[in-house]
Amino acid sequence: MLTGLLRKLANAVLLLFAVLVLNFALIHIAPGDPVEALVGEMGGATPELIAELRESFGLDKPLYVQIGHYLGRVLQGDLGYSTYYDQPVTYLIAERIGPTLLLVTVALLWAIVIGTILGVFSAQRRNSWISHLVTVLSLAGFSAPVFWIGIMLILLLSVAFPILPISGMTSTEAATSTIGYILDVAHHLVLPALTLGLIYLAFYSRLSRTSMLEVLETDYVRTARAKGLPKRLVIYKHALRNAVLPVVTFAGLQFGQVISGAVLVETVFAWPGLGTLAFESILRRDTPTLLGILFFSALMVVVMNLLTDFIYRRIDPRIKAT
Amino acid sequence: MTSDTPLLSVRDLEISFRTGGRDIPVVRDLSFDLSAGETLGIVGESGCGKSITALSLIGLVPSPPGRVSKGQILLNGEDIVTAGEDRLTRIRGNEISMVFQEPMTSLNPVYTVGEQIAETARAHFGSSRAEAWDRAIEMLRLVGIPSPEQRAHNYPHQLSGGMRQRVMIAIALVCEPKVLIADEPTTALDVTVQAQIFDLFRELQHKISAAIILITHDIGVVAQMCDRVMVMYAGRKIEEGPVRSFIRDPRHPYTRGLISCIPKLSRDPSDTPEPLFEIPGVVPSPADLAELKGCAFAPRCNRAINECLLHSPALTALGPDRAVACLRQEEIPA
Repeated sequence: MLTGLLRKLANAVLLLFAVLVLNFALIHIAPGDPVEALVGEMGGATPELIAELRESFGLDKPLYVQIGHYLGRVLQGDLGYSTYYDQPVTYLIAERIGPTLLLVTVALLWAIVIGTILGVFSAQRRNSWISHLVTVLSLAGFSAPVFWIGIMLILLLSVAFPILPISGMTSTEAATSTIGYILDVAHHLVLPALTLGLIYLAFYSRLSRTSMLEVLETDYVRTARAKGLPKRLVIYKHALRNAVLPVVTFAGLQFGQVISGAVLVETVFAWPGLGTLAFESILRRDTPTLLGILFFSALMVVVMNLLTDFIYRRIDPRIKAT
Repeated sequence: MTSDTPLLSVRDLEISFRTGGRDIPVVRDLSFDLSAGETLGIVGESGCGKSITALSLIGLVPSPPGRVSKGQILLNGEDIVTAGEDRLTRIRGNEISMVFQEPMTSLNPVYTVGEQIAETARAHFGSSRAEAWDRAIEMLRLVGIPSPEQRAHNYPHQLSGGMRQRVMIAIALVCEPKVLIADEPTTALDVTVQAQIFDLFRELQHKISAAIILITHDIGVVAQMCDRVMVMYAGRKIEEGPVRSFIRDPRHPYTRGLISCIPKLSRDPSDTPEPLFEIPGVVPSPADLAELKGCAFAPRCNRAINECLLHSPALTALGPDRAVACLRQEEIPA
């Protein structure tokens, strides 16, 4: 058990290293560098100044030297310095991670809870209207682009019926109390969390429905019925615990992918999270920031995978044995 | 051993499955009785309707597409077919229990075996957690699992097939049911384990005086275990009688075929082994049967005459406890 855990950790470190090198190389292969972007915004500069800027960012060195420097600093917990924001990347990420975690956690949570309930419910009534509704909803959720759903929801709930704010995380006028601030953020959170959650909802209702249908056909569910357990125990004790295993797996994986998942929604709603930061840093050729976010994102995936593995072991005793 | 009113009485049972917009019967005109303490064997090839009949006795015919479309299943005079789900829940596992064919997949992988036995006791007796757990350990001991206190904490994947089937039997017997249905309980197990499981059945039957319905296609098992045998073919009962006459004097050509199929062991190694007997052909599908006028076995029967293809034979009593459904049973020499 312990050696298995150690091996998993070692794998995770190796994986992160590979991700770092690959990201670094890929970004440097792409045309354009931070200096060009900066110079563009400055409205032009002399070749001497450009060379000086390149040197100050270390961009004049060969790629392998740059990677070496970068790795050395990452090991010390330093993700570099943003060429655009003029601030340490770790500071930028720390500032933006809160709103992103809040958004993704709320979106995933409501989607998983409601999605699982819908899925389990519709699996039991295979040919009922609710079952068909889940199928149609999940198809729609999968097919509709998230930014389109976002814009439609804005049109509906902020324009036609102006009950929710269009964008941002807080109102312009400062809140006077903590409770006032929390309520203000919650108010702003509804639309983006609803939008982001809808895709997850489509996914989880479908996943739990399929999984539940499969489990309901198993021999052990038949045994549970044959021993005269009441229906609620057959469904919620014997079937659900097995049916929920794939949901846990995907929830962990998706939570790890928070940043990529949230880029579009954060951009549509101007939510001040990591997704927006990533988007902006791409536009501004802010390589250190982008690299930092990508690394952090990979770190999240790895950590969540380890966590999922741990939760999985708690739910399914068979995994401990292997 | 038997009393006047049967414990379980099945009357004109018909089970249908809905396929392609039609109800296709898979079990037809099935009637039989089971008395307290008796062991009834139900014999037949795969697909003859044995297992679905067993499931119907505890109201577990998969529905849709299946349903009991006719007849009654009377447990102490109470009809199970028309009973509500609440009532069925109280009957299952408590008055009628079932042991299934697949011990490897019939236990829930995410709960300990102790819990899976204990919850049955809690559901039917309303026992406390502690009482039910003690009862589970007692049951594990009864079915011959060594160091039951430790084993109760095991998950199914930590036990062998034979052990798992013992756990299934413990679950089935924890509430001391009046009827125990065992659907090919040893098919998935080694021969040595088979014998142990059957010994266990006999011992437990003696202890709690349950009636057993043993579903099998193994004639050897029937000879060892059963008081009475019912042979099913293509969803119907075609022969019924005490186990001795079933083995010694089978009347239906199909039953004879089944008994001839048992390989004989020769004591003398120099003997050339006899070729194995087989019944030609396969059981017709329920959809084909619906079209069929005559005896369902006629196409495979070496004694069939034209008459057999035209009329379906009725079940005829041959004595107080024997019956057979064959037009030619009187003409065929014993």
